[in-house]
Amino acid sequence: MTTDPFNTTVREYFANPSHCGEVAGGVAGYFEDHGMRIRLAAEVRDGTIARLRFQAWGCPHVIAAAEAVCRRFEGQPVSALEQFKTGQIMEDLAVPVEKTGRILVLEDTVRSLGRAIENLTTP
Amino acid sequence: MVTNADPVYLDYAATTPLDPRVAERMRAVQSSAYFNPASNHFAGRLSATVVDEAAVQLAALLNVDPTSLLWTSGATESNNLAILGGAKQREHRGKHLVTMRTEHKAVVDVFRALEKQGFEIAWLAPDADGRLPLERFEAALRDDTQLASILHINNETGVVQDIEGLGAICRSHDVLFHVDGAQSAGKVPVDLAHLPVDLMSLTAHKFYGPKGVGALFVADGTPIAPQMFGGGQQRRLRPGTLPVDLIAGLGEAASVASSCIDKDLLHLAALRDQLWKGIRDVEGLQRNGQDRGGYPGILNVGVQDVEGESLLLALEPLCVATGSACNSRSQEPSSVLRALGRSDLEAQSAIRFSLGRQTTSAEIELAVSAYRNAVKKLRDLAPERVR
Repeated sequence: MTTDPFNTTVREYFANPSHCGEVAGGVAGYFEDHGMRIRLAAEVRDGTIARLRFQAWGCPHVIAAAEAVCRRFEGQPVSALEQFKTGQIMEDLAVPVEKTGRILVLEDTVRSLGRAIENLTTP
Repeated sequence: MVTNADPVYLDYAATTPLDPRVAERMRAVQSSAYFNPASNHFAGRLSATVVDEAAVQLAALLNVDPTSLLWTSGATESNNLAILGGAKQREHRGKHLVTMRTEHKAVVDVFRALEKQGFEIAWLAPDADGRLPLERFEAALRDDTQLASILHINNETGVVQDIEGLGAICRSHDVLFHVDGAQSAGKVPVDLAHLPVDLMSLTAHKFYGPKGVGALFVADGTPIAPQMFGGGQQRRLRPGTLPVDLIAGLGEAASVASSCIDKDLLHLAALRDQLWKGIRDVEGLQRNGQDRGGYPGILNVGVQDVEGESLLLALEPLCVATGSACNSRSQEPSSVLRALGRSDLEAQSAIRFSLGRQTTSAEIELAVSAYRNAVKKLRDLAPERVR
């Protein structure tokens, strides 16, 4: 049986990526691999991610996953970034297993953002 | 009136809707001539007459004798019968076969099967515009070349091959010439009385007929070996009870095509030009295939720095293709576009718009707007590349 390769969450996030964009004066992480490239930019206030925005070049699952990350971590403490795992996103977005490598690019971008924030706040 | 909520079907190269005249003819046959045309009773003879009438209709479209046509389940089966049947029947003459890298999978996979059986295949590359130069084709022929198969109109790009020139070369070298006419029969004039073609495959559903039925033209005296056995129908070359209603539908579709092919081509050319004019200034746009002389029902374009799968989703509700319909579920870049010199990334961003008899100018207007918006949206989403 033929099924839609994109679930309703992917379709919604892809069609209306409300967290797409840039954060002026913010801190950013970037990673590029598997032909994908993702940038996450954050505004950090008092140890909290006040705003989180993404830019992504990739398939619909990658774009939706980047939007999902922004929705999940905005308002969270910076330390929450360390707990990021791809498994939940893969499940929520029903990402096909052959696209695991692409979602790992997102994980690397999150790590990159975490390091950038750490560098900014470490004297 | 076209709205964003309506699907806009621009995938006529994948399949076409049933023409109402064809549907009516099929309904009539299903209710009044459902008999086995091989039966000896009068009812069977009635169905046999329906089949004969369809043969006359298709023969008129192709300008051939009705007895030169074999009914099949579609172009894939016709390709199999022509290539396997031709190659095996003439095996004594040599095991060298010639085809192109831009063929449909229904031909590629048959040659791959023959390769495993000890045949040697020359996979010829096209020029950058998709055409096969005659001198390259002739240079590939050897003393032991016994069959060549060329796609008339490419299903992905609309590139039209010089069948007359290629066929003349085959004749002068005693090489059997098969043409995959899945995208040409019923869509462009095909005069097999004058074209030097030995075998031509076609299928009804590409020209407003039903799915599940096709035909193979076999020129008088062309030797092919059957690939199926049992029943003895169709001179034992393709046995099996004939699907009378489907064949009647194919015949009617051929008859309709005979009456409106020129009008269809003018309609398609106007729409294709409207589409091209509407998107050609999109930055980084690349046209895949011939700029001039290609089949007007297909426009294939790629665009730099846009991801193909996202482009396809962003284009909804347009129904278009990223490659050939038969392998569109694959993540592999199109081998046809790779053969034209496109990179994996360029091939992956390619969109095939294929237009048809029912396509309207309003739909093209919507397609132009959707394409421009989708490319802009995806570029706006993308970060600058960090070197």
